[in-house]
Amino acid sequence: MTDRAQKAPHWLGASAAARAFAARTLSPVELVSALLARAAAVDPGINVYIRLDAEAALEAARVAEAEIMAGRVRGPLHGVPVGIKDIIDVAGLPTTCHSRLLLNNVAAADAAVVARLRQAGAIVMGKLATHEFAIGGPSFDLPFPPARNPWNPAHHPGGSSSGAAAGLAAGLFPLALGSDTGGSIRHPASACGIVGLKPTYGLVSRRGVFPLSFTCDHVGPMARTVADTALLLDAIAGHDPQDPGSAATPRTHYAALLERGVRGLRIGTVRRFHERDMPADPEVAAALDLVARTLAAEGAELRDVRLPPLADFAAVNRVILSSEAWAVHAPWLRRRPGEYGRLARRRLMAGAFYQAGDYVAAQRRRLQMITQVEAALREADVLLCASSMEPACRIDDAEAVARSYPRQARAPFNVTGHPALAMMAGLSAGGLPLSVQFAGRYFDEATVLRVARAWERVAGTDTCHPALG
Amino acid sequence: MDADLVAALARLAGLQRALADFPDDVAAAAAQALGHRDEMQAPEDPAAEPWPPMRAGRRCGPDRACD
Repeated sequence: MTDRAQKAPHWLGASAAARAFAARTLSPVELVSALLARAAAVDPGINVYIRLDAEAALEAARVAEAEIMAGRVRGPLHGVPVGIKDIIDVAGLPTTCHSRLLLNNVAAADAAVVARLRQAGAIVMGKLATHEFAIGGPSFDLPFPPARNPWNPAHHPGGSSSGAAAGLAAGLFPLALGSDTGGSIRHPASACGIVGLKPTYGLVSRRGVFPLSFTCDHVGPMARTVADTALLLDAIAGHDPQDPGSAATPRTHYAALLERGVRGLRIGTVRRFHERDMPADPEVAAALDLVARTLAAEGAELRDVRLPPLADFAAVNRVILSSEAWAVHAPWLRRRPGEYGRLARRRLMAGAFYQAGDYVAAQRRRLQMITQVEAALREADVLLCASSMEPACRIDDAEAVARSYPRQARAPFNVTGHPALAMMAGLSAGGLPLSVQFAGRYFDEATVLRVARAWERVAGTDTCHPALG
Repeated sequence: MDADLVAALARLAGLQRALADFPDDVAAAAAQALGHRDEMQAPEDPAAEPWPPMRAGRRCGPDRACD
């Protein structure tokens, strides 16, 4: 094994693992075994897994190893472990949505994204903690404990793809699948200091993923590095005729376009979000300035752009999300309200109190907002803005959680469907990740990833790990 | 929102059981909805269209590939 593969295989990214497999310095079985040992050591303190499927993962690793040894390499994810948020179907395993209501909901088939990953040779490690039905959390009244932040387990890891981000930050797997309806990939990515991408609406299939809000739901990649995020997107993006929202788009090789730098790109800074609408923690504001200055030093042209107020985006997101979620959950909320945790019950019942006119008004405002963001993206190639306005607070401080969760600038891009990526922008004085968000034009994830990689290359955020275990 | 009105709307939505067992949660849900509805800037232009626009025909679905 190489030095790093030998000493700390759990920090290997997908790309590095593929190189180690090719060089025969590490095998998929060795990597999966190391990750299982890592999970045994650290997961009891951070609650990443709802279900660790160790036997199936080892068997898949043996198959991958035999294929790779025989020279039948399927691609860059062959033999690479991946964690799956537990609202995404994996055939033969329960999709519980972290809820008492679905404890025995065994999936008959893989979700489209999981099927694509298996085809690419990736190894499913297990199902990961989420907020209940991707909306109610962090909660302590559910059948599984909430995931915790590996940078400080007394703090929350963000949500709702909480297990995915915590597991990546803790070195339990190099790749994970999450979902994002109001920021649920980018929030935990921000809180845990990893990379999370909400793709353009329609780029990645939602088939086999438990719905929260049909027009705001996105499935997307999460990883510790921008390159691994791009590799995972390469594997899961593509048209699915069985997802009515799926878009037919030309194939792009995201991972191949990363290292082009930002010289000549126009970066539009959205200052109002963190300066006026929701004044950010000074450490977050300073980190955002540093990212902008760094990209300028790398050759990007910075310009300020104007968007509608955050509160306007948030209200539209909530009216649409709650109305659509009510359509999904009304039968259970009527008959079995006591089987939900308190937070999910409160948030999901809100949809009962909107009228049809409210929903249509929100959808009409949505089209105006799309037009406004499109106008900003004619002046800039990529937008730079805040993700979370402060580092993660303590998980047991319900008041702080309730106050700080809405202090974010992620919902705009669920409303408009533009691609948006959140990643680490530094560490707070208290040792918790700070974050930045980049958003781009429809189906131009390649440029978003390119800007993110330029920041990562200078800042070294891909080698910044918590001292856990 | 007036408590009687919240209760009436909850019953209309079929939430009698939640109203009996979790009245605080029903009240909190109603307050949440009212708050977001009040914060929303509804379009003033009468011709403002909703998203997504109506499109004739079924472009794609479970048994039909997209055009």
